[in-house]
Order: sequence, then C-alpha cells, then structure tokens
Amino acid sequence: MATRILALVGDCYAGPGGIARYNQDLFEALAEGGADILILPRLGDARGMALPAGIRQLPPVFGRLSFFLSSLLAAWRHRPVDVVFCGHVYMAPLAWIVARLTGGRFWMQAHGAETWVGRRNAVRRAIEASDMVTTVSRGTRHILMSWAHLEEQRVRVLPDTVRDVFTPGPPSQALVDRLALGPGPVLLTVGRLSAGERYKGHEQVFAVLPALRARFPDLVYVVAGSGDDRARLEQRARELAGDPAAVRFLGFVPEEDLPDLYRLADLYVMPSSQEGFGIVYLEAAACGLKVVGGAGGGSGDAVPDERIGVLVEPSDEKGLVAAIARLLAQGRADQAAVDPYRRPHFAAAARLLLARLMAGRRRISGGS
Amino acid sequence: MCGIAGIYAYLAVAPKVDRAELARMNARMLPRGPDGSGDWHSPDERIGFTHRRLAIIDLSERGAQPMHSADGALTITFNGEIYNYRELRAELEAKGFRFRSDSDTEVLLQLYADRGPAMVEALRGMFAFGLWDSRQRKLLLARDPLGIRPLYYADDGWTVRFASTAKALLAGGAVSRDPDPAGIVGFHLFGSVPEPFTVWQDIKSVPAGATLTVDASGPHAPRSYYDVASALVMRAGTTARDSNGARGQLSDAVHDSVRHHLVADVPVAVFLSAGLDSGALLGTMAELGARDTLAVTLAFEEFRGKALDEAPLAAEIAARYGARHIVRTIDRAEFERDLPAILDAMDLPSTDGINTWFVAKAAREAGIKVALSGLGADECFGGYPSFSDVPRSVHLLRPFGIVPGIGAMARRLLTRARGAGLKLHPKTPGVLEYGGDWAGAYMLRRSVFMPWELDEILDPAMLEEGLRRLSPLSLIAAELQAGRSLGDFDKVAALETTLYMRNQLLRDADWAGLAHSIEIRVPYVDPFFLAALPPGNVLASLNAKAAVADVPRPPLPAASRDRRKTGFVTPVGRWLSDAAGVDDDGSFSTASRAWLLRVWKAGWTGPLAA
Repeated sequence: MATRILALVGDCYAGPGGIARYNQDLFEALAEGGADILILPRLGDARGMALPAGIRQLPPVFGRLSFFLSSLLAAWRHRPVDVVFCGHVYMAPLAWIVARLTGGRFWMQAHGAETWVGRRNAVRRAIEASDMVTTVSRGTRHILMSWAHLEEQRVRVLPDTVRDVFTPGPPSQALVDRLALGPGPVLLTVGRLSAGERYKGHEQVFAVLPALRARFPDLVYVVAGSGDDRARLEQRARELAGDPAAVRFLGFVPEEDLPDLYRLADLYVMPSSQEGFGIVYLEAAACGLKVVGGAGGGSGDAVPDERIGVLVEPSDEKGLVAAIARLLAQGRADQAAVDPYRRPHFAAAARLLLARLMAGRRRISGGS
Repeated sequence: MCGIAGIYAYLAVAPKVDRAELARMNARMLPRGPDGSGDWHSPDERIGFTHRRLAIIDLSERGAQPMHSADGALTITFNGEIYNYRELRAELEAKGFRFRSDSDTEVLLQLYADRGPAMVEALRGMFAFGLWDSRQRKLLLARDPLGIRPLYYADDGWTVRFASTAKALLAGGAVSRDPDPAGIVGFHLFGSVPEPFTVWQDIKSVPAGATLTVDASGPHAPRSYYDVASALVMRAGTTARDSNGARGQLSDAVHDSVRHHLVADVPVAVFLSAGLDSGALLGTMAELGARDTLAVTLAFEEFRGKALDEAPLAAEIAARYGARHIVRTIDRAEFERDLPAILDAMDLPSTDGINTWFVAKAAREAGIKVALSGLGADECFGGYPSFSDVPRSVHLLRPFGIVPGIGAMARRLLTRARGAGLKLHPKTPGVLEYGGDWAGAYMLRRSVFMPWELDEILDPAMLEEGLRRLSPLSLIAAELQAGRSLGDFDKVAALETTLYMRNQLLRDADWAGLAHSIEIRVPYVDPFFLAALPPGNVLASLNAKAAVADVPRPPLPAASRDRRKTGFVTPVGRWLSDAAGVDDDGSFSTASRAWLLRVWKAGWTGPLAA
C-alpha cells in the first residue's frame, strides 16, 4: 500500500525560493516511488496548477491557530497518515502533536539559518521526539545536533538537487550580442540584492576588481538579481571597482534564462558568509562554471572539492584574488562531480530515507 | 592486538575516500601495531580500510590485513583475538568452507559468509572490526560483548569514519573537535567518559555487545546482541550446587577461560601483583602446562622494604609456579618524565591507567607481546566495597524516598554545614538524596564529583546541557533494566561490569597497554566465563574473592590470602596530587579529584593550540 504522507510546510508549489523548490523536488521523488502526499502550506496557492500524480496541495493557511486546526482536519481526511512531514523547525511542536494524534511517524526537515537560532524548549523537545530529521547540509546537521540531543543515526543529510535545465553548453549568441561584455573574462553572481541578505559578498568582489583588472584588463563582473539593496550596491560598485565598466548590473533574470547566463560566464564568484546550502553554486557548476564561494554556513556541501570550486574566507581579499585567478586558469567544472547532485541520485536517496523511516520503530507513543 | 580504521563515503555526493586522511589515522595508531601495516580501497574508492598489525596468531603474511574472502566479496579489518577460532573453523570446514590461512581473521570472514551479522554471537574473544560486504554494499561494525576492544565512529551525514581510537579519528583531520557536554560532564562525574559518549560531539563509541550497520542511507541504530544483566538473570536461573560443587564450578570456569586465553603463536606472560586474582591466573597457567612464564610485577621506590611493597609476595607466588619473575621499580622521576607521553596516549580523559602504563612498559622492555591480567575479577567475585555498600545504602535509605524533596533539602543543609566548617566528605550531603536507589547509590559510590559540585568547575550552560544529555542516573539504571529480578550481588556486578570496568578499566588497559605494543588479555572478562560461574548469591556466600586462591593446584601461598586487601595502594595517588599541585591529605579521593582536573586541563576539545 502507498505510504501516506501529510506534509506541513511553509511553502511548496506556487511558493518562491529555495525551500519551496526543495520541497517540490522531495515530494515528487517520493510520489514517483509510490507515496501519496497531501501538502498543507502556510503560503502559496497552487489551486489550478497541475501537480504530479500522487501529490495534492491544500489552499494555504497562514494563521497559527487556523493552520493547526487545518492540519488536524487534513490529517483526518488523509487518514490513515503514515508519516507527518514537517518542513520548518518552528512548526515542529505542532507537527509533533499531529504525529502523536494520527499515529504517524514524524519526519522533521531542517534547512539552514532557522536551525542556527531556533532553540525554544518546545521546539527542541519536539525535534528530539522525531523519528527522523533530514538536513540539507552537514553543517546544518552539526549545528542542530549541538543543541538538540539526537543520536547520529536519526539525523540524515539529503542535499539539494540540481534541476535538469542546468547543463553545460555553448553560450547563446543572442545573449552574447545583447550584453556585449567584451573579451572577458566574465565573473558572475546570481542572487537577490536584499538589504536583509548582505552576506552574499558582492562588495567583497567589487573591492578586489582593481587588483584583478590589473591582471585581466578586460575582466567584467556581472551581477544578476534585483532587490531593495540594488541602489546602494551600485553606489558601492562605483566607489570600489575603480572603472564603471568593470561591473554590470543585469537586474532580475528569469529562471529560464539562467542556464544561458551561466554558460556565458567564465567563473561563478560569490564569497557569501551564510549560505544554508548554496544551491546556486551547484547550478552554476552544472552549467560548467567553476565556483569561488564563501566559507561559512553550509556551502561546503555544494562545493565539496576543487572539481567544482573552492571556498574562501569572505574577508580575505588576497585569498579571493588568488582563488579567482587560479580557477580562471582551470577551465570548466567537472560534470562527474555534479552528477551526484542530479535528480536520479536525489530521488533514490529520498526514497531510501522514507523506506528507512518506515522500517524503523516509531518513537512517539499515542495515536492509532 | 591491532589498530583499525576505515572511511565509507556512503552518500553519492560525498567525495571519494581521501587516502592521505586514512594514512594519518593509521599513523596515529602506530604503537598499536608495529609489525605491519596494510590498506585497502574498493575499486570505486568509496570505502577504504587500514590496519596496523601486532602479530599474535598466524605470524605469516597470510594473516595480514585488511583481509579478503576468497571470492573478494568480503573485506575485513579486525582488532582483537578470537579464542574459539579453531572450534569455529572446524564447524565451518565440516560445512564445506575451505581456508587459506591459519588466522582467526579468516574465520571471521567465513563465519560472516555463513551466518551474516549474527555471527558475532558465536565469537569468544575480544574484538572490534569493520567488515565490508560488497554484494549488499553494507559496512558492518562490531564490538565484543563486554567492550574489551574499543571502536569509535564519526558520521557527518555524508561519510562515516571508524577507528580503534578517538584520537585516530581526529588525526585524520576531517572530524570536528567540537566538545560534547555530555561526555565532559560524564568524565567529571565518573573519572571516565561513559560510552557511547566521548568528549567530542561528532565521535561516538560503538556500544559494547553491539553491531552497527552502515548502508547507502548511513549508519543505522546500533543493535545490541549481549546484555550483562540479562546474562546474569540467565545464570541466576541455573541450579545452585552445594558449596563444594560451587567451588569446583568456579575452578572449572577459571581453568576453561585461562586455557582459551592462552591461544597464541607467541609466548603469553602475566601481570602479577600480590593479590589473589593474578596469582590464580599464573597458577592455572602452570597447571595447564605453561612453562617459564614471564611474570611482571610493578614495584615502587617509595615502598621498598615496607609492607605495601607487593614485590616480595609476588616473588613467592612466581616461584611457586615456576615463573620467571621480573620486578620493575618505578619512582616519581620516571612518572614525571612519562607524564606528557601518558597524556598523549590517553585516548579519552581518564583518572586511571597509570599503573597499566608502567607495567606494560616493563613488559615491553622484557620483550613481551601478550600478557594476561586479573582485570575484571573484582567485578565477577565481588571484590569491591561497593558490593556491600551499595545494597546497604539502598535498603537503608529507600524508605526516605517516599518523602518528596527531603533528600535535596538534606543535601542543601549539609552542604551549608560543610561550608561552615563541619568535617564531611564532599559527597556526604547527597547520601539521603541519592543513596536510596540503585543508580543513585552506585553513583555516590563511584563518582569523583557529584552533580551539585560541578557548578564551580564547569561552565553552567555546559553543565546543564551535559547533565540533560547524559542523564547519568538513567544511564546507570539502563544497565539494570533487564535485571530487576537480580539479587544484590548480581545487581552490583552488573553495574560494575558495564560502567566502571567498561568505561574505565578496559579503556585504560587498551590505551596504556597498546602505547607499549602490549596486548592485555583478560580471562575474567569473558561472557562464557561469566555464564559458567555459579549464580551471584552462591558466589557471595562462597566468598568467591577469597575462594579463587584455591583454584590452581597447588593453591596460592597462605601469605597472599592473609594480605590485607589494600585495594589499589600505590604512591601514584600522591604523585598525581603533586602533579596536580594540591596538598595531599592522604586520601585517594582528594588525589583523584585533583588529578581529574589536571587531566582535563591537558586540553581535549576545541581547536588545536599548535
């Protein structure tokens, strides 16, 4: 019989951002393996969207109390529930109650930043009661286990996966002509320019452009993405980069145009200090770009070794210059290093974890 | 004895095994196996084993490791000895298995092929191994029933690493040194770190008597295949004999165990004190036909000519059984010279192991590779004061447990009274609070510090977190979970065997012995031996700790029976308190407290200084 999963998540289909996408990838992998999944999101209305077989998504419910009541209602409708999946650390106590009432196993998913601060006692106790916790990175796992007492075998890592649209290939001539970036080399950063996310490291790159252009006179730094910090960053670029032609702000780039943008660049550079995982590094690498990323957070998991790239200390300007120069000379990223992040591996790992969860003993007592 | 390690990159995204990392792990274990070294990597390089060999059985190259099955499907890296390997081999040969070497290692491979992971239940010996099954793509980690051989692992969510020592895992360079508050608090409470904790968050011990399987989804929960309390319950159900019959049963059990522990292709020596337990081993060895056995005794310059000196009586015992006796005298200067090396060899912080360090050092100087030790006899025969103290405390104080809060109140009052100058042992205020149940009374008896005393030693947040995770009373009580029906003697035996002996004595015997490339064998630590003894209440009424003197023929000399049970009297306590820089008030408890803090100050967790 199909494993019946009730997924309580922040967002999934019709939701923006990395976590929504991760949830979609995960549920599709499980549904392809025969699971029957009902999603209750707090945000993102997927009514009218065609969802893959085995997946249904309820209308979003934002309020805490109404979300709780809706989850009980959903659990009743979806009964018998085998697994209660909880997509956010803050929702752990609620998911624990639902798991207890339904008799389902409790699968907790932790992403990045939220595990670094969320240490309320109720949250901790709920997580400690879970049957399985999955994290996207080893770093998140390590941090989570420093404040929640969990045996190592209960905390598994399921890394982000790269979507199939990201593949190597020749640059699009139309885009080359339109951007007219010159002979290059071209450095690229893709990401929101948000005042709340100033850790991405754009300014660190601006600051080393004069040194880089002394060695590579035609080097251009392309910044893709929009946000409320753009004006300030443009100002900083003018102050730091020396030559106004050294930095190009592209504004928002739709997802379907990203592969072409990556293929046109020579190196992906983002000395970020707080990536939860750094999926963008992998998307760049999957299109053939080597990566200079930032140490810290969980990004070590997207850049495991030099076949994909290196991580530098974001504040170390000399190190950043040296890494960029060195990786520019190395050429393209090794696709054999990217392959394990692609869908088939991700789907197999996800289904193996579900099987493992179902084979184990349920920890929470109560329910049916 | 040997050192083993391995790396398994189980998740697809994990990079292949780093050969240099495995080499660093191997190098950190050099003294564990100076006779040879081997590595193996799977063709896809997702799993690698390493091995340092101290050759004891089948000294030829055919006994080298890592070893593969004939079809290449199984690979093992193994640390330990299987004493019944010849019996097992005969069984397998009768089933049609063919052998290529005379090693016990090959028996493990074939036995796994025959029985799968359940094979561990048939093994008599001390062992820790990693076995790769390439058909199922599964790694099996296993540890002997009582925890003689150590085995640690670290799982980062992509890759699992294992090794005989925690320090080898760290030496590889890929395992975090971040502290584990549970292990740190455990060390401060007990003087040794209770397994499965270590003082590092990412490193855990494979529990004694358990197997652990790692597949493509990572390590699964350890599976226990042996539990001391359950074994004692089974034994308690055996028919009791009269006292003569029981003495005979005790004697047979010791003979059988010693015979098994003599299996080796190199000479087997013995660590001999003036006590009955090691003397009985030597006497039994002689009776079984061992000739010219080397017996090593530790003596202290400070005790020369005094009643505390064990050497004269040990010499008498050695002479009685025709052993060649080596007395090795150490003094404070040698202790101080060796201290840095001792702290470096110490795998997890411990307040003990110094004596073993020196007796193993002496054995090494005498060219010995294997020695029997009387370790574990006190746990089997009721040799510790805890066998009377703990039950007395429980029976006397249990009634107070019905008044909630009375114990804690008494503790606070008495702590204040101590502060005001009342002369009390620092643990005394907790007697009413802890002494009324088995776990509490045992902790009171065995702890170096009690939880309420640690406020002044450890960071409060770390202490709180450590106590929460460690949950020391539940940890102790868990060892009795299957033993509710046991009598007093067996309850204490279960606690001493699974806590003090496992976490302190055996771990210390491992690092302190192997720092000098000495394999220490412990015939009193053996599930087969344990099961062959009479039930605990019979052992108690027999006064087994004295009766062991009559096990060998001829029995031990009268003087060794008369010797006051001095416990562990050495000048080491004084050296330790001096090394720790405190005034010695003559009590071992003060010395061990000071020494504990000195050991901890050596620096265990966090970034390396150099």
